[in-house]
Amino acid sequence: MNAVESLAAIERLNPRLNAFLRVNAAAVGGAPLAVKDNIVTTDMPTTCGSKILHGFTSPYDATVIVRLRKAGRTIIGKTNLDEFAMGSSTEHSAFGVTRNPWDISRVAGGSSGGSAAAVAARMVPAALGSETGGSVRQPAAFCGVVGLKPTYGRVSRWGLVAFASGLDQIGIVTSTARECAEVLGIIAGHDPNDSTSSPEPVDDYGADVDAGIKGLRFGVVREAVSKLEGDVRANFDDALRVLRGAGAIVEEASVPTIGYAIAIYYIVANAEASANLARFDGVRYGHRSKRARTVRDMYFESRGEGFGAEVKRRIMLGTFALSSGYYDAYYGRAQAVRARLRQDFAAAFQKFDFLLTPTTPEPAFKIGAKTEDPLSMYLSDIFTAPANLVGIPAIAVPSGFSGEGLPLSLQIMAPHFREKALFRAAGAFERETEYWRREPRAFL
Amino acid sequence: MRITPEEAKHIAELAHLEFDDAGLQRMAAEMTKILSYIDQLNAAEVGGAPPSGATPLRDDVVVPGTPREAVERNAPAWRDGHFVVPKIIE
Repeated sequence: MNAVESLAAIERLNPRLNAFLRVNAAAVGGAPLAVKDNIVTTDMPTTCGSKILHGFTSPYDATVIVRLRKAGRTIIGKTNLDEFAMGSSTEHSAFGVTRNPWDISRVAGGSSGGSAAAVAARMVPAALGSETGGSVRQPAAFCGVVGLKPTYGRVSRWGLVAFASGLDQIGIVTSTARECAEVLGIIAGHDPNDSTSSPEPVDDYGADVDAGIKGLRFGVVREAVSKLEGDVRANFDDALRVLRGAGAIVEEASVPTIGYAIAIYYIVANAEASANLARFDGVRYGHRSKRARTVRDMYFESRGEGFGAEVKRRIMLGTFALSSGYYDAYYGRAQAVRARLRQDFAAAFQKFDFLLTPTTPEPAFKIGAKTEDPLSMYLSDIFTAPANLVGIPAIAVPSGFSGEGLPLSLQIMAPHFREKALFRAAGAFERETEYWRREPRAFL
Repeated sequence: MRITPEEAKHIAELAHLEFDDAGLQRMAAEMTKILSYIDQLNAAEVGGAPPSGATPLRDDVVVPGTPREAVERNAPAWRDGHFVVPKIIE
């Protein structure tokens, strides 16, 4: 697919899906790639799905954009997201919901819902998203495509608008593991502009995609899968049979603290978000309230008008967790349990090359089903958030379909910087199942 | 953990966020529900797991910053090379 073909597909499909917020209509050349609109580009505005960044165009390109352009990739457009990447359905975008290409009455997931829908509908072969608690893998699962969260520090975040700096990582959505490995090879590596980016050497990520998984050890996380039911249970069990059929050793693993991930996440991520989002105050860029007569009013009114309900909720929770009298009980406690979670994962990886769960506890839900109940929305990330808290890489791979024809997904996690092994496992699973060949054409 | 509308108002002040009374009521109820879920962390056995390491710092070397014209293009109000804000001192 070249840029012209990609633009034609976007023109035809985007009115129904709302995956793209903006396209570069003048784009020509090969290898088009879409970018979540919280990654800054000089040739298009960056909105973060928020009214508060109204009128903002970055004076510089993100490091990942610089690297992709240098590698000959064409940045075709910016994709929709939950405001500031806070959400699991792309319903919290100031610019409307992104619809799922498999069933347009359902969400595409989030927060990188635009990127996942764009790849699933074959509007682009690849897209960048960002992850803080599952924002690439969860929408990839809902849309039936591959989603990678690399190791924390594997990809520079310079130019990714910060949400929770101790968790944020740029991720990739593609149709296959091989394409995903190619994009990671371009964007991975140390960047002096992001001191959390790792000096660890960049692997030849696609080298083992066809190597098979005979004899490799997969651990099924007991505490995560014990309550699975219905289609998700049956599909997950099928996936384990596929792996065993390909020669892998599949056994039960234990990560005792994994059930605390969402509770830890909503303290740690929101605490960091409340600090990071303090910069949006109407002074230097973006929206400034027309009502303001004093500086204090300008801060409160610009933020009050510019931020949506979910962003305010998270800033409030984060501010509370860091406030005097509650810091130790909430933020301190969450970090202590997180340290234990890290230890539990390390112990499990002593015995296994990979750990397995479904990517999501259910397939894509109906638009509006969870917007009135924030906690139920948060629990959508119950299987993905652990990898962010621990910093390990994880990949979502299409694993079949529910009775209603909605995509389901297998999550494979690996130790830090073992992305090459993840692509090997994902590649073997794809060869055995070929779900990636199925396209949602009939529903478009 | 129960959050009252008065506590929510205090947190909103710290966070520089504006809410009307109905908004504060709703926020207090939602925060109460979410924090009640989070309170399960008190039951976790943590042992003495060590915290993760600190982020390395980059070398303290002077490099060119963002050009002033590029900053000006995004500014809501700008005059003579400065951001303009409403009067700070009465």
